[in-house]
Amino acid sequence: MNKDMKILVVDDFSTMRRIIKNLLRDLGMTNVQEADDGQTALPILKQGGIDFLVTDWNMPGMTGIDLLKEVRSDPNLAHMPVLMVTAEAKKEQIIAAAQAGVNGYVVKPFTAAVLKEKIDKIFERLG
Amino acid sequence: MISGTGKGFGHFEMELQLKAQELVSVLNEGNLSDAMDIIQELHEFRHKTFFTEVGHLTRGLHEAIKAFSSELGSSLQLDDESAPEDADAADRLNYVIEVTEKNAHETMDRVDKALGLVDQLDSQSERFKDLLLLVGQLEKEHDSLNGVYDRTCAVKEESEKTIETLRTELTDIVVSQSYQDITGQLIRRVINLVTNVETHLISLMEMAAKVEKLSGIEVQPTTETDQENKKNPIQAEGPQVKKDSADVVSNQDEVDDLLSSLGF
Repeated sequence: MNKDMKILVVDDFSTMRRIIKNLLRDLGMTNVQEADDGQTALPILKQGGIDFLVTDWNMPGMTGIDLLKEVRSDPNLAHMPVLMVTAEAKKEQIIAAAQAGVNGYVVKPFTAAVLKEKIDKIFERLG
Repeated sequence: MISGTGKGFGHFEMELQLKAQELVSVLNEGNLSDAMDIIQELHEFRHKTFFTEVGHLTRGLHEAIKAFSSELGSSLQLDDESAPEDADAADRLNYVIEVTEKNAHETMDRVDKALGLVDQLDSQSERFKDLLLLVGQLEKEHDSLNGVYDRTCAVKEESEKTIETLRTELTDIVVSQSYQDITGQLIRRVINLVTNVETHLISLMEMAAKVEKLSGIEVQPTTETDQENKKNPIQAEGPQVKKDSADVVSNQDEVDDLLSSLGF
């Protein structure tokens, strides 16, 4: 895993963005940008340079699942690894996220260990 | 407390029985014209009772929401001057989200400082290592220092473990601040609910007022024409409160199982 990779963390709650940022810092990843919903995240992603997207689902404006679909439908972004960190815990929602092409799914509230494990797993798979 | 009219449906039933008996007796007398009049009266009476009852329940519900707003307000204002004054239920609840967010950040500020101190401990431990090497060399030259190197090393290891535990505990404090996100999402759902109920209530009251006007039902004057407060509709569902429901996963393991069953 490249520690210098640029990560975009998308969540409407600043508390959660900060928690995820702290945990990423523990993993040695300090190149983190933030956005508070899909609408503000998408232009940042389209500008290029982001290597990894961590997004919440339930956000005003554009939700995380819509953002994921946008990412997958954009040829420049389609292969970006996406981790969803969300309180949405219905099976149908998890299945919908999987079908939309999510790389990992973490339900809130989560532990530091779980988040780290899922991130490791994503990059293990990508090689 | 939401209550109906003073008379209510009990009164309706009583009146119905009286009229029914009257109807039977005029019918027995063969007085069809009077019977038709009674049936017409019954019909009007039924309408009037239902409309008045619905109108009163609607007003009661509206009053309950207004009271909830002001109770919530007085319980929140305490000694904080930044609390919104003259706000509705949605504003009050939004304020709860703001306060918990602010506090979560303050907690994390302190944890960040503490983690900085832990880093300092770590670097001190490195410097200590150099000193220890010196002790190790001196030990060979002075018999009186025999065993000091090993004992000091043991203390150093112990303290390094403590530092590591401390770091884990502090990280857990940061992660536990996620309660703010979870509760915040639930509060937003309540805000949505209250806003929706109020909006529909206002429509219902307007409708009731029209019906009252058309049917000539007299009611006590009221003053409700509160503003409609349309906030962002939330598409997703937010945190699941009933975790034992069959279509909801209850922990990360179940998420993982579900995903791996889908070939992930």
